[in-house]
Amino acid sequence: MSLPTTALDIAEAVQTGSASARTIIDAAISRIEAHDAAITAFEDVRADQARAMADAVDARIASGDTNLPLAGVPVAVKDCIAVAGEPMTCGSRILEGYVCPFSATAIERLVNAGAVLLGRTRCDEFAMGSSTEHCVSGPVSNPWATDRVPGGSSGGSAAAVAAGFVPVALGTDTGGSIRQPAALCGITGFKPSQGRVPRWGQVSFAPSMDQIGPFTRTAADAAAVMQVISGHDERDATSAADALGMIDLDGDLSGLRIGITKEHRSDDNHPAVNAAVDAAADTCRDLGATIVDVSLKATDLGIACYYVIGPAEASSNLARFDGVRYGRRAAGSSDLAEMYERSRTEGFGPEARRRIVLGTWVLSAGYYDAYYNRALKVRRLISNEYTAQFANVDLLLGPTTPAPAFRKGAISDPVSMYLCDRYTVTANIAGLCGCSIPFGMAQDDDDTLPVGVQLLGPVLGDATVLRAAHVLQSASTHHLAQPVMA
Amino acid sequence: MTDIIDRRLIVGMEVHVELATEAKMFALGPNVAHPSRFDSAPNTICDPVSVALPGALPTMNHDALEMAMLVGTALNCEIADRCQWDRKNYFYPDLPKGYQISQYEHPICGRGELTFDGPDGAVTVRITRAHLEEDTGKSGHELPGGEVIDGSIVDYNRSGSPLLEIVTEPDITSAADAVAFGRELRSICRALGVTEGIMQKGHMRFEPNINLVLTLGDGREVRTPIVEIKNLNSFRAVEQAIAHEVTRQEAQWLDDGLEMGPGAKSTRGWDEKAQRTVLQRSKEDAHDYRYFPEPDLVPLEVDQAWKDKIAARLPELPRARRARWVDVLGLTAKDAAALAEEPPTADFFEACAAAMEAQGMSASDAAIAAAKLLLNAGTRLANERTCAVEALGITADQIAGIALMRAAGDLGSTAADEVFEVLCDSEESAAAAAERLNLLQVSDASALNAWIDEALAAHPQAGEDFAAGKDAAMGRIMGHVMKASGGSADAGMVRARLIERLR
Repeated sequence: MSLPTTALDIAEAVQTGSASARTIIDAAISRIEAHDAAITAFEDVRADQARAMADAVDARIASGDTNLPLAGVPVAVKDCIAVAGEPMTCGSRILEGYVCPFSATAIERLVNAGAVLLGRTRCDEFAMGSSTEHCVSGPVSNPWATDRVPGGSSGGSAAAVAAGFVPVALGTDTGGSIRQPAALCGITGFKPSQGRVPRWGQVSFAPSMDQIGPFTRTAADAAAVMQVISGHDERDATSAADALGMIDLDGDLSGLRIGITKEHRSDDNHPAVNAAVDAAADTCRDLGATIVDVSLKATDLGIACYYVIGPAEASSNLARFDGVRYGRRAAGSSDLAEMYERSRTEGFGPEARRRIVLGTWVLSAGYYDAYYNRALKVRRLISNEYTAQFANVDLLLGPTTPAPAFRKGAISDPVSMYLCDRYTVTANIAGLCGCSIPFGMAQDDDDTLPVGVQLLGPVLGDATVLRAAHVLQSASTHHLAQPVMA
Repeated sequence: MTDIIDRRLIVGMEVHVELATEAKMFALGPNVAHPSRFDSAPNTICDPVSVALPGALPTMNHDALEMAMLVGTALNCEIADRCQWDRKNYFYPDLPKGYQISQYEHPICGRGELTFDGPDGAVTVRITRAHLEEDTGKSGHELPGGEVIDGSIVDYNRSGSPLLEIVTEPDITSAADAVAFGRELRSICRALGVTEGIMQKGHMRFEPNINLVLTLGDGREVRTPIVEIKNLNSFRAVEQAIAHEVTRQEAQWLDDGLEMGPGAKSTRGWDEKAQRTVLQRSKEDAHDYRYFPEPDLVPLEVDQAWKDKIAARLPELPRARRARWVDVLGLTAKDAAALAEEPPTADFFEACAAAMEAQGMSASDAAIAAAKLLLNAGTRLANERTCAVEALGITADQIAGIALMRAAGDLGSTAADEVFEVLCDSEESAAAAAERLNLLQVSDASALNAWIDEALAAHPQAGEDFAAGKDAAMGRIMGHVMKASGGSADAGMVRARLIERLR
C-alpha cells in the first residue's frame, strides 16, 4: 500500500485510522536514511523522539482527540527556529553547544495540531544567504541536480520537501529565503504577511522583515499549515491582532485582477523564467482573472534598501552572540575586548561578519542619515507604491527568481548573490505576503530544473494569495513534478 | 591670569528610578526591584528575554508605562501622544542583548517642573524629559563576600528591570538644593507607589551634571567643562560629590584654563573613601550608540482618555500635603516634614486625626494631638521595636481614644505614654486599658491632699523651699505624689493645690 504524501492526505489518513502516525514517520525516516547522504538537507534527524511523538499522536487519536488538523504530518524545521530541548545552531559555529530551553510559537502550535517534528534542516548562517553554502556544517544539494544549490537561506527545508523526505518544512523569509529556494527546488513556498506568524522563538535576522512560513508540495498544504501557525501571540508585540480566518480554497479566479510587473519581465531573466510567468498569466486568464500590466518603479531600489536595513538590524540582533552566556567562547583571551573579538571572529562566518560590519557602518554617527535614514525613506516609497498598486489589483504575478538553480560555487561575488533576491526582497520591505509555486521547467546545460513564479498580495492578504495559488495548481500539473532520487 | 572673584554652581540632574513592577520592562519574568524579590539569590530570576536567549522577544510592560506616566503627571510633564522605543547599542557582559531598549527621540514624558523646599526657600527645577528603559545586570569583579576571583562575574537578576530616567534642566545652584531636590523626588515616587526608594538597594541613582560659572577680576565670565558624576546612591554622596567638584573644577581651571564646549564633557565616579571624584571617561572615547528604532516593538499611542485615567490616580503629593498640614491644620513645619517622610506613616497620621475628628475634636486639635502622640510615644516605640509607627499594632481608633482622654483631663502625659505602649499589644480601648492599669487621672481633692500630705512629710525641706518661692523645689514633691499615686494624679491639680496651700 502506498502512503499518502501531502500533509492534508496524511492528516486525513491518520485521523481516520487508515494509516498510523508511526507508519508515516517510519517511512519518512527510512527515506531520509536512504537519500539524505546525497542531499544533506538535515542537520540532525531526531528519529527516536519523532517516533515517540508519532506514538503520542496515535494515542491521542485513539483517545478520541479530533482536534488534530495536522495529525501525523512529519515536519522539518529550519535550524534557526527554537525547539525546546533541541540544539539550535543557525548554521553558525558561534551557537556550538546551545540547547533551546523553549519552543517557538509556530512549533508549539504545530505540535498541538498533531504534527511530528522530524529534525532540523541546514541553512545559511543566521539566514543570511541565497544558496545555503554559508552553513558551518556544509552545503545542501538541490535534489534536481546535486551539484547545484537548493537556494537559500532555507535551503535544507526546501530540499527536504523536494526530495520527498517530509510534506512540510518550516523556513524563514527575510528577503526571499522561503520563496527563492522553493522556486529553485520546484515546490510551494509561502511567505506570510509581516506579523501573520508570531516570531517568538525564531532567531532574529532583521525583525522588521523576518517571517516564518511553510514549504509544502501544494498550496492547499501551505494553507493548512498557515491555519495552524498564524494568529496573534502576546509574546510577539509585532504579531498581527487580526486572525487569518478559515481560508476557502474553492472556486476559480473570476473577478480577480492580477497585475504583471513590467519591470520584472527582463531580458536578464532566464528565458524559461519569462515563459513560466507568461504561462501562469495565461492560466490565470483562463481561470477568469483579469490580467493587467503594472509598473513598480521603486522596486529597482529594493536590493539597495534591503542591504542597508537588513544588515543594520542584523548587526544589533547578532550582538547577543558574544561568548558570554552561551554558545562558543574563544579560549585563552587575556581581557574582555579580546574575548569578544576572538569569539565573534572565530564564531561567525564571512557572510555574517560582512553584514555585521555593513550594518554597524550604516548606523554609525555621520553615516546614519546617508544610509539608514535614506533606506527608511526608500522603504516608505516602495510600500506606498505597492499600496497604490493594490488599490487597482488584487494580486501581482511575476518571477520568483531571475534564473533556475545555479551550480555550487558558481556565484562568489556577494553582490551577484544578493541580486538573486531582487524579485523577492520588496515583499519583505513592504510587509507583503507572497507564494512561490513551480510553473515550468528550464533546460540549463544537461539539467532539467524547476522554475517558480511568485504571487504577491497586500499586507494581510494571505488568504487571497493562497487561494489563487491553489486554484492555479488545481488547473495545472507543474507542482506534481518530482526529482528522480539516485 | 586674572583672579576669580565669584563662582556660581550649575547642576542638572539625571535620576534613575527602578520601578517596582511585578514583571520586567519587556518580559513576564519577575523584577528584582519588586519588594517580593529583593532578596533573590544571584541569577535566580532570569527569563529568556532578560538574558537574551536566541529567539526571545521583548514585549512592553503596561504597568511600567503607567508608572512612568504617573511620575510624569506628578512632575507636570507633557505626556507624549506617541512614543517610540529605540535600541542603544554597546557591548558589555552585563548587557545581554548587546543593546539596551530605551526611548531616545520620543520619550513618554516631556517638559515639566518640580518645586521643592531648599534650605533657602522654595526652588523650581524644570524637567527636560523622563523616559523608560531597561536596567542592565550587575557586573562584579570579586565574589559577593569579597573573595578575590580570577575574572569577572555577572548577576542578571536586575537585567531588564524597568528604569525611569528623569532629566532636569541645569537649574540647581547648590549641593544642598540638589539633595533637597533628590529627597522631594524620592518622596513623590514613594507617595506614587512606583518604588520603595531604598537607596542602598539602588532603587534611585543620581547622576549630577556639574559645572561652574567663574567671574574673573576683569569682569569676564568663564564656564568650566561639564562633569557628569555617575551612579550616586546616597544623598550624602550627592552632596559631597558636588561640593568636591566645586573645589576641584576651580582648581582645574586655574591649572589648565579649559572651558565648557564640545568635546570637553567628561564622566567621573565618586570615591567615597578618598572623598573625591575620579575620571572615568572623557568625551573623546565616548561611545557611538548607533540608536535606531526597535523593530521588535511597535510605537505606542497614548490617547487623552488614558492620560486622564492616569491623572485621576494621582494622590495628593507630599509637598501639598505638608503645606496643608501646616497652613490648615496648624502643624509645625518640622512635625509635618517628619510625618510626611514615609507615605504609610503619613496615611496613618491622617487616619488617627480623622478618628479623633469623628469623636468631636476640631480638625486642628485632632491633627496636633495625633502628631504629638505619633512623634513622641510612637516614634520612641517604633525605634525600640525597629518598625514603622503604623506597624506597631496600635490602631487609629485606639490612638484617638488616648487623645480624647488627654483632652478631657482623664489621662496624664506619662500615663498616656504607658497606655500607648500597652495598646500596641492589646485590642482593648484606651479607656479600658487606662482603667485596668489604674492610670485614670485622679483630680479628687481628698485623694490629692492625702498624697500631698505624705509628700510634704517625706520632704519637709522641699516644702519650705517651695513656700519660700523656689519653684524648682516642686519637682521633688511632685515626684513623690506621682509615685504614690501610680502616675494617676492630675499634675495640674497637684500644682494648683500646692500653690494654694504653701504660698
